[in-house]
Amino acid sequence: MPEKKFKYLSKEWADEVGKRCKKTLTPEKMKNITSSMLTVYTKCPDGKTRAVYYKFTKGVVENVSIVEGTLPKAEFSITADYELFARISRAELKARSALMSGKMLLRGNLVKALTLSPTVDRLNEVIATVPTEY
Amino acid sequence: MPKKKLAKADPYFIDNPKRVKAVQKEMAKKGIDVYLGSRLRTMSWILDAFCPWRTYVVIPPEGLPTAVTFVIDAARVADESWLDQDHIIGYGPMGGQDQVALLSMLIKPYLKAGKGVVGMETGMGNYLPEGHLTLFEFVMLKAALPRATFKNAHDIIDRLSLIKDEGTINRFREASRIVDVGHKAVYDAIRDGGFRKMTETEVGGLAAYAMRKAGSEWEWSFTGGNEIASGYRSGLAAGACTPASRRKLKAGDPLMVDLHAMFKLGLGDHSHNYFLGKATKRQLWHAKNFVDLMKQVLITYRAGISPTSLADEMLAFAEEKGFQDYLVPGFEHGIGLMGDEWRIGLNDGPFQYWTNPEHVYKKNEMLICAVQYACPEEDIGFRYENPILIKEKNCEAMSRFPLSVNVV
Repeated sequence: MPEKKFKYLSKEWADEVGKRCKKTLTPEKMKNITSSMLTVYTKCPDGKTRAVYYKFTKGVVENVSIVEGTLPKAEFSITADYELFARISRAELKARSALMSGKMLLRGNLVKALTLSPTVDRLNEVIATVPTEY
Repeated sequence: MPKKKLAKADPYFIDNPKRVKAVQKEMAKKGIDVYLGSRLRTMSWILDAFCPWRTYVVIPPEGLPTAVTFVIDAARVADESWLDQDHIIGYGPMGGQDQVALLSMLIKPYLKAGKGVVGMETGMGNYLPEGHLTLFEFVMLKAALPRATFKNAHDIIDRLSLIKDEGTINRFREASRIVDVGHKAVYDAIRDGGFRKMTETEVGGLAAYAMRKAGSEWEWSFTGGNEIASGYRSGLAAGACTPASRRKLKAGDPLMVDLHAMFKLGLGDHSHNYFLGKATKRQLWHAKNFVDLMKQVLITYRAGISPTSLADEMLAFAEEKGFQDYLVPGFEHGIGLMGDEWRIGLNDGPFQYWTNPEHVYKKNEMLICAVQYACPEEDIGFRYENPILIKEKNCEAMSRFPLSVNVV
């Protein structure tokens, strides 16, 4: 039976990301961080802008959800167009390269962001395991 | 991370929030909605931390300022500043994190519909690390904030930082005490023939070691740290900048030792002069001229005089004694916390961004009494530098190393 694929940025996809994160990422692996992050996808295939909101409390991935319209406040936000994020998710492009080339915008304290960068890499590794239909 | 804030009772305490409020009051008077500082002196005065990398500070009309510095140094600056890490942020080559993106993000909330006045720090200086806003930075910020008006406003900080508070004065006193430790170490090392086989760089280094042991943070001057000049280098025509060279010290040479120490951004800067091993009658005549002049200069400084009036008096003294040809006609340069060097007072003289020769000194101003005696044709010269505090009727010379030209 073919593996079930989740539609990228759908509620089901976010739920699956949240489920896998909770299962794989222990508070120790997440450095016990308490923070929040938005990845904002512009130019989605339907023309809309939507975001994934991540909330971490003491290293526990508490919330992964899709938001549209007014975006909630988050400690960090990363903005890029849909296709760029998709390339990163397909491991065709490194997030660091996208940031350094200016194709991706980071909002938030850079010092803290750099400190959390390995933790976010771990999160991205889990996201990459979700069978996704782009 | 522990925050080491100074208590009010600490002799080195500076009321930084009070400084920010004073700036904000001046901003309101001048119709400035938000102030963008970029000069090194502004960082030292506002942040109370050493910012060796390009740093900016955005001062809102009320509330705390936010500094933006190179990301590799942001955590250290936040550790040393009175401001917390949410108000010391790092920039780097990443989308949304470059200097212009961060500065415009910090400035925008204080502009109504993008319109408003941004105070900036531009100008001209002979001091390389002054830190005026560059043309490129200005053009990029103007593009990011097209409806904003930029207005040069550095005079706000210049005026407020002119009269030194007790904490600042005490930091200079401590830096000067440390410089005296350096001078003692040099004297001990070069006396009784100890100078033989030594080089100028070695003298600079041993002084640095002694001063660091005594608590100096660095040999702060951008003129190569400790300036050491021996032989002909001590008397370069109209010269007063001698980074130590690899020149070997030789008997019969004059030796000028100009040491710099920093203590909590307060700056020590004192020069002492020697003859190595022996001195001729003529050399001793030059030395006596120099010492006599310096005694005269130091008893003349007080509130109410100006650079011009002091120069007139001293040049007349030199003429009377017959050594006016050897005197470089300048007797001081400005000083403040790290980054505030050279120009005295405000930018209100006949030559933009130079000392106004008619500037009238006030109580609790500080300056570096700086005199260069140079006789290039005889390969001889002396330098005097010392931070002085202007008082009502006299001045306080902060380095206490005895004024003389020693034959060692």
